Amino acid sequence: MSTVLEHLVNQPYKHGFVTEIEAETAPKGLSEDTIRLISAKKNEPEWLLEFRLKAYRHWLTMAEPAWPNVKYPKIDFQDIIYYSAPKPKKLNSMDEVDPELLRTFEKLGVPMNERAALAGVAVDVIFDSVSVATTYKQKLADVGIIFCSISEAVREHPELVRRYLGTVVPSGDNYYAALNSAVFTDGSFCFIPRGVKCPMELSTYFRINTQESGQFERTLIVAEEGASVSYLEGCTAPKFDTNQLHAAVVELVALDNARIKYSTVQNWYAGDERGKGGIYNFVTKRGLCKGVNSHISWTQVETGSAITWKYPSCVLLGENSVGEFYSVALTNHHQQADTGTKMVHIGRDTRSTIVSKGISAGSSNNSYRGLVKIGPKADRARNYSQCDSMLIGARCGANTFPYIQVQNATARVEHEATTSKIGEDQLFYFQSRGVSPEEAVSMIINGFCKDVFQQLPMEFAVEATKLLGLKLEGSVG
Amino acid sequence: MTVTAIHPCVEALLQGSRGLPRMPLAWLNARRGAALERANALTVPTARDEEWRFTDITPLTRIVFRPAAAAPRLGMSDIAQYIAPEATAHLAFVDGVFVPELSANAGLPYGVVVTHLTAAFGTHAAVIEPHLARHAAFERDLFAALNTACLRDGAFIWIAKNQRCPTPVQLLFISTQQETAAHPRCLVVVESGADCTLIEDHVGVGDGAYFNNAVSEIVVGERARVQHVKLQREARSAFHIANSAVTLAKDATYTSNAVTFGARISRHNLAVVQQGEGATCRIDGLALISGRQLADTHTAIDHARPNGKSAQLHKCIVGDAAHAVFNGKVLVRAGAQLTDSAQQSRNLLLSPKAHVDTKPQLEIFADDVKCSHGATVGQLDTEHVFYLKSRGLSEERARSLLTYAFGAEVIDRIPVPSLVEHLERAVLEQTQARPQAGGEAS
Repeated sequence: MSTVLEHLVNQPYKHGFVTEIEAETAPKGLSEDTIRLISAKKNEPEWLLEFRLKAYRHWLTMAEPAWPNVKYPKIDFQDIIYYSAPKPKKLNSMDEVDPELLRTFEKLGVPMNERAALAGVAVDVIFDSVSVATTYKQKLADVGIIFCSISEAVREHPELVRRYLGTVVPSGDNYYAALNSAVFTDGSFCFIPRGVKCPMELSTYFRINTQESGQFERTLIVAEEGASVSYLEGCTAPKFDTNQLHAAVVELVALDNARIKYSTVQNWYAGDERGKGGIYNFVTKRGLCKGVNSHISWTQVETGSAITWKYPSCVLLGENSVGEFYSVALTNHHQQADTGTKMVHIGRDTRSTIVSKGISAGSSNNSYRGLVKIGPKADRARNYSQCDSMLIGARCGANTFPYIQVQNATARVEHEATTSKIGEDQLFYFQSRGVSPEEAVSMIINGFCKDVFQQLPMEFAVEATKLLGLKLEGSVG
Repeated sequence: MTVTAIHPCVEALLQGSRGLPRMPLAWLNARRGAALERANALTVPTARDEEWRFTDITPLTRIVFRPAAAAPRLGMSDIAQYIAPEATAHLAFVDGVFVPELSANAGLPYGVVVTHLTAAFGTHAAVIEPHLARHAAFERDLFAALNTACLRDGAFIWIAKNQRCPTPVQLLFISTQQETAAHPRCLVVVESGADCTLIEDHVGVGDGAYFNNAVSEIVVGERARVQHVKLQREARSAFHIANSAVTLAKDATYTSNAVTFGARISRHNLAVVQQGEGATCRIDGLALISGRQLADTHTAIDHARPNGKSAQLHKCIVGDAAHAVFNGKVLVRAGAQLTDSAQQSRNLLLSPKAHVDTKPQLEIFADDVKCSHGATVGQLDTEHVFYLKSRGLSEERARSLLTYAFGAEVIDRIPVPSLVEHLERAVLEQTQARPQAGGEAS
């Protein structure tokens, strides 16, 4: 059996090409000057520069976190390019976008033109550090939705950005969030006004292209009273031998009765089979259920990155608010993932659900780390957590570190975890029914992840299933 | 945070090691010396240390504990109530000092030795040397280091190959004096094919704020079986820190029932290493606390070899403003295939201010294993209460009965009938007591 599985788990990375495109890059290194340069390049207002500098000064006093269950050489923050952008051109329509860039996204299968219309998805594309195109802006503007890059939002809607930026993830929240707050270059901004149901899925596509650059994007989504939105995020990067840092911050704010659904398919370059190269994905994602009956749902499919360090969280402040976290994390070769969620119950009658599926193969290490915290005022709070791990091969590791902290007697918290493997007998059963071992593995894994895939929007579910296939069972097709 | 100067509390605790006579055994002096060195080097754990994140021991460090002065005169009548009638052999230690008059170890079958360490050094040095201070690691644990540095006497149980100790052996550690520190020590060596039931009992007489820092090492040989009952019924203002280190050889079986009632702050570290293939352990725990008590249980099961089995059930009943902490780590090392491990942490909160931090933890480095854990925190099921009320029980009675049943699941597994009866009564009394009354610890 091991040969079948070994064959299955060793698939090449398909998005590893580099696009030759003229880029304007800032010199390597981090200092107040770099930050002033980024801020000046983007014509930012004074308050934002202050926000960045404050974060930077705080960052200097902080130490890199040592508690995650991952190992990597010390990162030299002076050896990173903090700003890299395709040469600026005034764009009037999609036709003027650099054809090289369009071809890149064609290759990646990102719908940016008519295909976007068919798919019914509005896309904001971030290339290295700068947003290059946003589709469907007008149609969204008609219903009052603002969907644009965050740099544009700073220019066009400074009061909205200023009101919400840093309210969910404060600039000094943690080491990488502070770094991001200091040097973030672009990202998406989305504002759904009161009572509006977003008519289409919103999507951001991130790509790191330049070697030695870091990507520090910042996403801010605000859903006002009664609004709802479903948001998708996809990521890829070329193959380089060096490690690249990706330290993003995502903030979600849901007011009374609002709903935000945030889905990610993360497929950053994971390094080669010996663990050389790949992205360090150190991301802070947090949603604030500020209003009553608000609802935030995170769904993630994590297949890429050399190291993933990411805990999409929900702060359940509003009464009766709901937080959800659905995750599939797949690690192979020498990948390391330390991922999970935090559900912080503050308000009364708040509920949360956690479903996490970890699959480890090769010599990888996959950890679930979660926190469920019930505050003293969270009467009748409810949590259900389930984390299952699957191990493929004898050299990988699967760990679970669930922290449960309860300070309210009326709360109910349940946590369950199991570990299993693809059994010889299961494969035998499939084969006895005429299913090939490759297909059997694929079916077993898809069954294992079903609870999570069901949460993904349809287009993404298809992509995620394919992606897992690519990672694990490519020899079939 | 590194503190270069020794914490005054550690300084005081080390007083106990100063007056120790040098032992005739060179290896023992060397181990004590090594432990003393570590005790001087290690800092007092704070909430910044992951292992002590939820347990703040500041109140412990504020008191300067001195070694106990001459043991007070306790008579057999004072301690009779604590001794299980099934236990034909028992050793009594008062404030850390062995009291032969209160102990009974006559008439044991051939191949069963129950005595105190200083006596055994002369007769069983060859059995003790490979094990004493070899299983309870003191390199990174301040309290194990302190205990080892102050090691002078302790309990010693040895069961020879293929022998059975037909009745339980009870080790009674009694603390009587305010602001004193004792460092009880046990070494239990059960050779291959042998069998033993052990009751480790920590009792507080009076109401003093003393510190009991225990270390037990239990070595279970091939195909041998040890049933270990640990009762912690210290005084309500006392501090109790215990390290139990268990090593299992091939096909060995170990069961543990740890019951925590007393102490203001208590911490139990139980580490089981399955060093041989096919070893089995079953670890159950119950903490029943109220008032402002804090009970912390850290267990670690190390599946180092294939075919190991482990099952764990840990329950906490937390009333008033008490705080329960549980951290259960299950490690499956690379190559430990066919491991079967199940862990449950169940917590019952009885009052709005009660508080639980639980962290079951799995670390798995082998693929052909079956591992699961579960954790729940909640209150009594309203439907259960309603059902009992529909049968004519008062609300209070219904709640008390359900709480009792919750705890009884663990207590019923204790292999000593008189203890089961005694503990069940204690749980019932405490759950019936009105919240403010708190209930007595034993």
